[in-house]
Amino acid sequence: MTAGTVVAAILTLAIFSFLYRENPFFRFAEHLLVGLSAGYFTVIAVQGTLVPKVIEPLKAGDFWVVISFVLIILILGRLTEKTRPASRIPLALVIGAGAGVAVPALLQARILVQLGATMKPLGSLTNVLILVGVITTLVYFYFSREHKGWWGRLASVGTWYLMIFFGATFGNTVMSRISLLIGRLEFLFGDFLGLIK
Amino acid sequence: MTLKPRTFAFLAVFIAVTFPLLYPLNISDRVSPEAVKFKALVDSISPGSVVMVSFDHEASTVAEVRPLATVLARHLFSRDIKIIGLSLFAEGTAIGNQVLSLVAEEFGKKYGEDWVFLGFRPQFQAAILGMGESIPNVFPRDYYGNVTDTLSLIKAVPNYSKVAMVVSVADGDLGYAWVDYAYTRYHARVAAMLTAVMVASYMPLYASGQLSGLVNGLKGAADYERLLDKPGAAIRSMDAQSMAHAVILLLILGGNAAYWWGRKK
Repeated sequence: MTAGTVVAAILTLAIFSFLYRENPFFRFAEHLLVGLSAGYFTVIAVQGTLVPKVIEPLKAGDFWVVISFVLIILILGRLTEKTRPASRIPLALVIGAGAGVAVPALLQARILVQLGATMKPLGSLTNVLILVGVITTLVYFYFSREHKGWWGRLASVGTWYLMIFFGATFGNTVMSRISLLIGRLEFLFGDFLGLIK
Repeated sequence: MTLKPRTFAFLAVFIAVTFPLLYPLNISDRVSPEAVKFKALVDSISPGSVVMVSFDHEASTVAEVRPLATVLARHLFSRDIKIIGLSLFAEGTAIGNQVLSLVAEEFGKKYGEDWVFLGFRPQFQAAILGMGESIPNVFPRDYYGNVTDTLSLIKAVPNYSKVAMVVSVADGDLGYAWVDYAYTRYHARVAAMLTAVMVASYMPLYASGQLSGLVNGLKGAADYERLLDKPGAAIRSMDAQSMAHAVILLLILGGNAAYWWGRKK
């Protein structure tokens, strides 16, 4: 058993102690996680991005990256009140470029193609269920007309579809969270205590 | 100290999970159609091709994503398919490298020729779109600091045009991003291995064919292990999963019965 396994086991038990009540062991482990994550992210960002994308090109005489470097410095302007306005320039670039890239891609992938997928021949029960689901759910989210009469009945069918989706999502969430518990208990009983072969 | 009802609920779930881990019951053996389709998808890729595996997850979901990534890497390497690994989530970087290096060692695969791990790149939109033009431009160096242009695998695969499939091992929305940018813009074939919590929201993309394949959490990993006939961590965990579900079901039924009983009184 390595020292890392022992440390991981102690920290796991410290986090599990929250099930009883909040306590200093839990808080220590929680703060350690936050600090380590921030430190890890910084190292990864510097080694994996700043060095190969900025520092090395600069050393190699590619001075175009000076522009990126200046923008990075401007972002740091957010740290003080006086220099905050300067940070708006790189942020505006990021938001503008991000929106320009995202809007057509998302329109295509999330709306047009998905709309196409609902317009299939109604020869199978699945296709009928999909079409009814899309229409009634959209009716449910149409708030410009009161949900009364036949319109209200359509909306209530949409509610059923939504409930089924929430149920499926919740069921999967339970499965996911139990998987995480299994992972930790497998580690404690297997790697740490050696009870699982 | 008074014991609250939730203490008993915790205890019941703890016993339900621990007992099958220590004493396997082998109660679950049904394989999902999604896993069958995913395996068939990988089987349709010819040996020598390249699959890109993106580790788009946090460290906290390692219990679910590691079995998924491991079984995929085993299947790919067993069919002599090459792997380019990367991460668009910083925390997935070390886990991705660990999974690929362990499985590569198991299959005697050579770094740079059979597999490469590019590491992490922030700004997923820019990274995914950029790799459609040139992988070395987005990742001038790999995780180990090698210049990517010098690696024979990357020389042969300049962008998605030579990638047979991209698989996002994700616990969040990054799988969507691969569909939005790699599939929509570059027509790269995209599949996803997801934590169970994300599956319901990815289903529309799978149903519309934008996602070529989808594997659902630990259950999906266990199915995949069964299909490959290589029992591993996921199959071992499924008994615990089934028992925990049964206990939670009983707790829900019991809780509701107690509620109705109390209201009646």
